[in-house]
This record gives sequence, C-alpha cells and structure tokens, in this order.
Amino acid sequence: MLETVNLTKTYKDKKAVDGIDIYLDKGESVGLLGPNGAGKSTTISMISSLLKPTSGDVRLNGESKIKDPSEIRRVLGVVPQEIALYEELSAYENLKFFGKIYKVKKDVLENRMQEVLEMVGLKERQKELVKTFSGGMKRRVNIAAALLHQPEILILDEPTVGIDPQSRNHILETVRKLNEEHGTTILYTSHYMEEVEQLCNRVYIMDHGKIVASGSKNELLSILSSEDTIQVQLSKTSDAIIEKVKGMEHVRRVDETSDGIRIISKKGSNILSDLVHVIENENSQISHFQVEIPSLEDVFLHLTGKTLRD
Amino acid sequence: MGSFFKKDLLVFWRDRKEILLSLLLPIVIIFVLNIAFTGVFESESESVTIDLAIVQEDDEALGFEQFEETLSDMDFSVEEREQVLEQAGEVTPIQLIHELFNDPELKEWINIQELTEAEASESVEAGTLDAIIKLPEGFTYGVLSQVMLGEQSEIPLTIQAEEQSNEVSVLQEIVYNFINTINLQFAIGATTGSDITEAKLPQGGTEIVEGVETYTITQYFTIAMTTLFALFISQTIALKTVTEKRERVFNRILLTNSNPLNYLMGKMLATFCITWLQMMITITVSQLILDVFPERNFDFWIGLIMVITVFALTVAGLSAIFTTITLNMHDSNAVSGLTTLIIMTLGVLGGGFFPIQGLPVFMQKIGEWTPNGLTQVTLIEWIQYTEMKGLVMPIIILIVFFIVCIIIGMAIFPRRGRV
Repeated sequence: MLETVNLTKTYKDKKAVDGIDIYLDKGESVGLLGPNGAGKSTTISMISSLLKPTSGDVRLNGESKIKDPSEIRRVLGVVPQEIALYEELSAYENLKFFGKIYKVKKDVLENRMQEVLEMVGLKERQKELVKTFSGGMKRRVNIAAALLHQPEILILDEPTVGIDPQSRNHILETVRKLNEEHGTTILYTSHYMEEVEQLCNRVYIMDHGKIVASGSKNELLSILSSEDTIQVQLSKTSDAIIEKVKGMEHVRRVDETSDGIRIISKKGSNILSDLVHVIENENSQISHFQVEIPSLEDVFLHLTGKTLRD
Repeated sequence: MGSFFKKDLLVFWRDRKEILLSLLLPIVIIFVLNIAFTGVFESESESVTIDLAIVQEDDEALGFEQFEETLSDMDFSVEEREQVLEQAGEVTPIQLIHELFNDPELKEWINIQELTEAEASESVEAGTLDAIIKLPEGFTYGVLSQVMLGEQSEIPLTIQAEEQSNEVSVLQEIVYNFINTINLQFAIGATTGSDITEAKLPQGGTEIVEGVETYTITQYFTIAMTTLFALFISQTIALKTVTEKRERVFNRILLTNSNPLNYLMGKMLATFCITWLQMMITITVSQLILDVFPERNFDFWIGLIMVITVFALTVAGLSAIFTTITLNMHDSNAVSGLTTLIIMTLGVLGGGFFPIQGLPVFMQKIGEWTPNGLTQVTLIEWIQYTEMKGLVMPIIILIVFFIVCIIIGMAIFPRRGRV
C-alpha cells in the first residue's frame, strides 16, 4: 500500500536518513523503533510529504507521490510528536477548524467530530480550552484531529511521550481499535518497547539513518537466539565472583546488578553446577536464579548498543 | 479562507493581554499626550502677553500744517493738491496706531497704556513694562510725506525695550507688518485712485486662511497614535505564525491539502477586521472623551471612515508580508526584531511620533509615501478642507500599496519543505 524506496535526506554533508526501504501493507500495524536522532521523524516527514527527500521515492499503491503529494495527504493521518493544536481554542473549535480545512462535508463534520471525540474519550470536555487540558488529554485531541478525514493510514510519532498512564492506555486502546476494528493501517514510533510489542505486527529498527533490522517480533527475537540471559540473585556480590564467572566456559558477558549478577551465555549451555560451585567458594549463596526470555529491548540493545531512551 | 479567518479572529480574541494592549493602549496614550501637551501650549499662550506703553510726543495738527505747507511749495495744480490733502486727512497716523493696539484681538494679549517718556522708561527699568512705542515729534509729518509724496524720509516710530525678548520680537513683527500694510494700501490707492480703506491688522498666533479649518494637537495625536498602533496589529497577527510553526500546527495545515494562500488570506482578512475595529474604537472613544472633532457633519465622518478602511487594508497587506517573512525565517526573535524595526521606521517617517513637518524635506517626501504617513497627511487635510476630491488619489495609492503587499507576500511564500 505505502512504501519508501531508497529514501534519503541529506542536510549539508550529513545523511539524516540513508536509503531506507520500508513498506506498509493494508491493515497492518508497523512499529518504527530507534534511539533519539536515528532519523525516525525525518522519515515520517518525508513519507507525509512535509519534507522533500534528497533522493528516493515514496509510493502509494505503486505510484510515486513525491511530485504531487495531494493524494498521499488525503489518505494519511499524521499525529505529530508535538501538540499541533491551538491552545487558545477549545477541543471542539480545534476539531471544527481542522475538519473544515480537511474539507469534510458540513453535514458529516459534526457527527465525525463527536465520533472521534468519543473515540479518544473527550466528548464530555470538548468545549474546554485545550490549554486547560493535561498533557495526556492534549495528546488525545492531537490524535482526534488526525482522524477527522477518516485516513486509511495513520502515522503516530511517539504519541504517548510524557503522559499519565490513564491517557496512555486510552491512546493505545484507540490505536488498537482503529487497526483491528476499522482496518486503519498504522505506522507507530515510540520509545516504549512494550507499546510496539503490544500494537505492532512488524517492526523496523532504525539507527544512524538506516534500517538495521526488520521483521515480526519473533523474527527479531531470533537475532538473539544464540544466547541466554540469566539473572542470578546473590546474598553477597564481589569483584572476585564476577571475575571467576567471566572465566567460566560458555559465558560471554557478566554485568553486576543491584542484587546480584546478569550473565549472557551460549544458548543451551548448562552452567548452573559450575556457577553454584564458584559462588559457594566465594562464601556467597544463590537466593534466586532465572533464565530470561530475550525481549525486543534486548534485540534493540544488541543492534544499536543503546537503550531506546538513550 | 473563512475557516482561517474565523480561527485567527478567535485566537486573537482569546489573547486577553493582546486585546488590552491593542485597544486600551492607544486610547490611554492619546489621553495622556493630550493632557501633557495641551498644558504646555496653554502655558505658552499665557506667557505671550505684552505690557506696552505709548509715548506720544508728536503734535498731530502741527504735522498736518507742515505737510500742507510742503505741498503748497510743490508743483501741483489746485485740484491735485486738494485731492492729496483730502486723502491725507483720512490717514491720521497717530489715530491708526491707537486703533491698531485697541483692536479687540490684540487687546487680548497686549496691555496698553499712555505714559510720558520718563514714566515709561522708569516702568521698563522696573520690569513692569515690556516695551515703549514712541511717536516722536514729526511723526505725522514724516508718515504723510512718505506715504503721500513718496519722499525717502524715515518713519520715526521707535520701539524701546530693556532687553530683546519674545514679547518684543512679536511686537516688532506687528508694527513692521502694520507699516507695510499702510504703505501697500497707500501705494494701491495712489495707483488706482481708490479711497484708502481701513488698514488690515497683522494676525498673531494661528494663521487663519479663509475656508480652511485649523487642526489641533489633540487631533494630531489621535490620528498619529491610531495609525501607529494599527501598524502593530499587522505584526501581532503575523507573529501568531511563530507559534503555529513552533507547535507544528502549520504542518498540520499543510497536510490538509489546503491552499497556503487561503492561510495567507485568512491572516489578511483577520488583520483588516481587527485593525478597522481598533481604529474605529480608538477614534470613537477619543471623540467621546476629548471631543477631538467637534461639530463635524456626517460627510466628515464618512470621509474619515473611508480613509480608515483603506488604511486597514494596507495594514492587512503588511501582515501578509510579515507572515511570509515569519514562515521564511527560523529565528523567531529575529522575526520579531525585523518587523518591529520596519514598523518603527514607518512610524518615524510617517509622523507617528512627531508631525511629519518636523522632518527634513526629503524625509517628509519619503514619509508621505509610507501608508501611515499618507493616511495621516490625508486625514489632516480632510480635517482642514473636507474636500472629497482630496481623498481620491490617497485612497488609490493606499489600494495600490495593498495590492503590492499581496503580490510580495505571495512571491516570497515558502515552497514545500522550507518552513
């Protein structure tokens, strides 16, 4: 449905986006992950036609939309990271203004406004000025404004940054409903891995302007399939314990945690008996032992060397 | 465009601080300036009073006798002599001087008394008199010889004062003008053979030309402040674009496939309405409080509203340019600084801070080509003449200015990806 081909944006000599290829099939929910400065927002700006690419293409149903972006604008709903609303106007006035300039028909607009307000849970407070709203409520109106023209594709750029859990849940539920019940195609960027895990069928991981990995959750997790992560809770931790564990066969990495150590070892290797022996020799005891299933966060860390919030 | 216009009006209306500044400040400043400067002018007018003594040493009858003797010695026929004597009988120079200073208009600010030379000199030295006008011996004969016979004798009227002051300068000017008037009228009388008419008194203070109303300092302040503050509306509306850019509302507008010119037109229309309302409110309140334009007829108010309407259009045009400048520049402080600089320059050149007539001639010419300067000059002329034909050309120029602003605004409107 929507795809980018070798999409590139260069500012002076710096490539903010470096030849990325992503696609969205109709009805899919796709995550775009990357640390700050990875190029996610630049990519979204190019896809949504706000920014002209230095090279490459954006195609909708196989047709290039770089020269004439009017059609892509018609089918896209974009929820920017910023609260793109007039603070001095009420939620109702904001939606009415954007609905009118989206050219939603007069007889449809009022109903549509009430529908999206219902969807984001602000129907009762629509007459209040946006500046009196909490951060979460503003973000919900921000989403509502992008839904007025019933877009086929919704792009959300970190829509849950800095908001209360209630609003966050509301937003996630809204996005899920839009995707599952209304068939809206979703491109979702977030700093919160669990949101992407919860909402998206596929994920792109970006770093330094490039796509470093992509695929379904299981496909991405398989990147870490050659390693086990083991959390060991100890009665006492010492440098000697860490050094001796590091020296054990199959152990690739040891990190100290608040109550013990974290070991990354070759997948399937049985290090438990040797580990117990080492720890007892250092006059400590294992109080808890757990082999962790790798998460997308681990995959992200493995690929970029950073956590998502770096 | 209607949606943009309504949105801009609403956004402005909800900004209470901006509304107070735009509507209240010009009224307060007009009121304060009016009180301050009216006080200054009133105190000045009180200070220009002249205490004057007339010292008469001339014997008018003797002067006539001398003139008659001189005339009989000259080569005139009997008829000519009688005609000259008849005319001379109507002149009576001393009486003319007294009539001059007893004129009701002059008596308002000249206190006159007749004293001997000794008394008058004593009073001048004591500071109770500003000056003495001395009509010395031979004054009547001298005046008649000069004005009737064209002889080169000096008019021996003297003004004596302890020191040169504004009051003495004013007095000298009056007497000088008076003598010139007498000479001119006698010259005209001699050429045309008509009778001597009453000598015109020189006018002090405000010069009044027939058919022309004067304009007051209150009217100047009202017009100057109204036009100056109207210019600031163009900046206020345009700078809302900074917020729209910062908060990415402008991007959202672009994504709706709206024609960017609708956005620009919305800004212009909102600026026009707000400016028009601001100017009308400022003038109406000033009129109610200060009676700025007393006893003016319906036609005067129609003309005033016409000029205000066209000026509001040019302010809207300016807002289009300021808006596109804002969209093109990334530093909001630079935008604010640049637009303020443009407005202040227009304000100075267009007489927003002091009358344009106080500027050097070349700057006056430039000032008259600024929209506010042209509006100010047009309104002042409207106050003075109330001639509809005087409004036509300024209105055309202001409309052209508006159209040029729109063209510039559209020409520099940023292309995609440059906002």
